[in-house]
Amino acid sequence: MKKSFLLLFLLFFLPLSVSVEAAARRAIEQLQVDVDQIVEILNDEALDRRIRDEKIIALVKGRFDFPTMSQWILGINWRRASEAERQRFIDLFTGLLENTYAGRIESYTGDYGKENVRYVQEQVEGDRSLVNTLIVTKSAEIPVDYKMIRKDGEWRVYDVVIEGVSLVRNYRTTYGEIVSKEGFPGLFARMEEKIKELKKAPPEAGK
Amino acid sequence: MRKLSFWVVFFLLWSAVLPVAETSAAGSAAMEVASEEDDLFHDPFDDNGREILIADPLEPVNRAFFWFNDKAYFYFLKPVARAYRFVPEDGRVSVGRFFANLATPVRFANSLLQLKIKDAGGELGRFCLNTTVGMGGLLDPARSLGLNQKDEDFGQTLGHYGVGQGCYLVLPFLGFSSLRDGIGSVVDRFLEPQTYLLSFWEGLGATGLETVNFLSLDKDTYETIKKDSLDPYLFTRNAYAQRREGLVKK
Repeated sequence: MKKSFLLLFLLFFLPLSVSVEAAARRAIEQLQVDVDQIVEILNDEALDRRIRDEKIIALVKGRFDFPTMSQWILGINWRRASEAERQRFIDLFTGLLENTYAGRIESYTGDYGKENVRYVQEQVEGDRSLVNTLIVTKSAEIPVDYKMIRKDGEWRVYDVVIEGVSLVRNYRTTYGEIVSKEGFPGLFARMEEKIKELKKAPPEAGK
Repeated sequence: MRKLSFWVVFFLLWSAVLPVAETSAAGSAAMEVASEEDDLFHDPFDDNGREILIADPLEPVNRAFFWFNDKAYFYFLKPVARAYRFVPEDGRVSVGRFFANLATPVRFANSLLQLKIKDAGGELGRFCLNTTVGMGGLLDPARSLGLNQKDEDFGQTLGHYGVGQGCYLVLPFLGFSSLRDGIGSVVDRFLEPQTYLLSFWEGLGATGLETVNFLSLDKDTYETIKKDSLDPYLFTRNAYAQRREGLVKK
């Protein structure tokens, strides 16, 4: 009797608790779902190239917070920039990363599986989270940390730190130096040129 | 004992002479913004927005050597590494481990110098296990026991005691370095057994093999950086500064 009551209880409340959990899912879990999916798509050889690229770019775009990233990358220059310049930068930067990822997908040689990514831990501070992962290969373990920010219940990546090297910091110092020498027009021109270059790069490059 | 006191004096002189290259106008400007637009630039996992920079007064020379290394990489080292890939991957991983195992004295001594006793013990344990059970370092059974290699070198030891990077250096063939780390790697050479066991040319050959072996396992890191970044020189310099600072803090 008791047992069936428990069953009934579970039937009623399980769906509820699952949905509550989904809304409040931790950053580390949201990240893992996407990374697993990307790895799966990458290793799916039957998939059409164009569809594969589109799927991955969509996943990356959904999980990365490009506007926040852009603010961090421009740093002090963000405040000096006009509204139009800010928007232009966000657009260019998004385009740049998209094409960068497209290139990475092309040069992927199929040697990683889900088992190569280990999710170590996460530290949460309010709406920020730091997720530590490890890429484990035969010869090495590479620490990859994701800094994430929560907006409307979704955790989005705004920085990736590989072996202690922060992507955002690196962009910030590099771009900062270009802006101080050539101003925003110089930076934008260089970014446009890079995007063009990446777009027409032969798919075999980097192999 | 005499040697130790020499190093203590050396440390003191060094840190007094070198300019602190890491805090700069950019750093304080970032802090200023952080306080004004708190919400926007608040990052609990960032070092108060302090920039990690490295002084680069020799930029024109460094860029010239960077160009030189780029050519040496594409026209010499990379083709050799590609040809060397005829050796099965497992074999190459073992060669890499063998060299890493040989360099244990470097990591052991520098862990001790930084009073990281546990790490020093770990390195000693790894060496004993991997040299015997691991067949001279070809295998890494210590890693499967959770005993991982801890990267330490004399540049990090200097950094640990507060010595700044000094200026950034790009050295022909040897690659990215700094005044501090360059001196560090000279000191580390004296801790490597190859220095005593091999003649100059044999030593050069061994270093060449180690480099080619490493590149053969690498997944085109440099090519990717060169392709993706607006200025590969600035990108690698900033990455170097961050990476080394991260290692010193570890």
